[in-house]
Amino acid sequence: MLHPQSSWPFERPEQLADMLREQGATPEECADLLPALRRLSEWQAPQPDPADTRRLLARLAPALPALSPVRQAIREHRQHRIFWLLATARAQVSLFGLGFWLVSALVTLVGAGIVSSNVLVDAGVASSNVLLVQEVILRASGPLLAFLGTIVAFRGREARVLELELVCLPSPLQLAITRLVIVLGYDVGLSLALALVLWAGGTGDVLALTLSWLMPLLLVAGLALLLSLRLSVQAAASLAYVSWLVLGIVSPLQALLFAPELLVLPGCIGLVLLAIALLRLHTGMHRQLPYA
Amino acid sequence: MQERSDEQLMTAVQAGDQVALATLITRHHAPLLGYLYRLVGGDRQLSEDLVQETLLHVLQQRTYQAARPFKPWLYTIATNLARDYFKSAAVRKSWREGDEEEALLHLYDSEASPEERALAAEQGSEVRAALAQLREEYRVVVVLRFYQGFSLQEIAETLHIPLGTVKSRLSVGVHRLRNVLVPVQKGVD
Repeated sequence: MLHPQSSWPFERPEQLADMLREQGATPEECADLLPALRRLSEWQAPQPDPADTRRLLARLAPALPALSPVRQAIREHRQHRIFWLLATARAQVSLFGLGFWLVSALVTLVGAGIVSSNVLVDAGVASSNVLLVQEVILRASGPLLAFLGTIVAFRGREARVLELELVCLPSPLQLAITRLVIVLGYDVGLSLALALVLWAGGTGDVLALTLSWLMPLLLVAGLALLLSLRLSVQAAASLAYVSWLVLGIVSPLQALLFAPELLVLPGCIGLVLLAIALLRLHTGMHRQLPYA
Repeated sequence: MQERSDEQLMTAVQAGDQVALATLITRHHAPLLGYLYRLVGGDRQLSEDLVQETLLHVLQQRTYQAARPFKPWLYTIATNLARDYFKSAAVRKSWREGDEEEALLHLYDSEASPEERALAAEQGSEVRAALAQLREEYRVVVVLRFYQGFSLQEIAETLHIPLGTVKSRLSVGVHRLRNVLVPVQKGVD
């Protein structure tokens, strides 16, 4: 198939001489080089006809972006969100410090040790009351982890660095959620380990004991986070924990709170409080600014 | 109505504008094909494949910014793809042993008749062989300058080399072309 030839880009002969001069050739060199350059026009390249261009367009059309660059960037960002959250979580984990992980594990271990061993019987607790005392110990030690977790995870609030957090890629809300997921995830992991220890130790009613530990933990975590919106983190965590000790262990309400059919109630309340606290954290962020 | 610039068309293409794509392709298809055709030594099929590959890269690369001149960016992609093609060992081998070498030897064969030389000149074979003799770095600047009509600055932007290097490569390339082409011309005359 014959193709029309592309035209030589220089219409006037002196254009070539001008180009040579522009690139630094002397008049003598120009005279010497021009005959060779004029010969370049002998080799013409084929020129595509309109049908060739249409075929090329048909092959390229499927590669045409279907979305605007902005929308594409948003979509790609969403696709990488999981990896991004994992990277954020990894950075946050490094901020917690070894002490937090060890103390939390130690509290769980001590609670599990007391509950699963014969310490209570040896201490003179009547066998009919052993389960009740075990539950009380767990109800007191579980929320202790929530207390520790809240203080450690949100200790930066006192530094009044929200302005710095606002210029970071993850929003303060995302950071708060990430920290909560880390702390609560670790605590739930510990509760599973506790359940395993209790089961391996032959303790009866493992589920009830594990819930006695985990549900108050969620309640205190939610309450502490909610209170921290108005109080300092230490005051909020302490108030939440002490309130729980008074309300859930000492007061007459404990019989109602820990009726077998309402065993998961504190946990549900805790999750609701956490959700409210996160929403309030988002809307009331201006209060956290240094000039507020 | 004022014609849209390459940069405006490319911005519209990034947003999925098919009309802008058609305009851009129609504008650049022939020059790009001519450039690659001469760069790869006159292989029509290969140059068409490289044109398609270049334009696919243009569509798939999301790095283009409207402030950047489109034409040097387009020819950078085309040049890099052609270079990648020639880097492959198989291609280098075929160029060393293949038709180009034979054509070159035939051109400078003292037994060639004046008629054969005249026909070769008419078909541009001598120029093609002379360009094929140049090293790739000189061939690229010569083709961009004297076939595509690029300014020195555009060549520098396309190849990411300083302006001085563009001038020196052009000087070497043009002098080597002269050494090959002018004696042949005298023979034909």
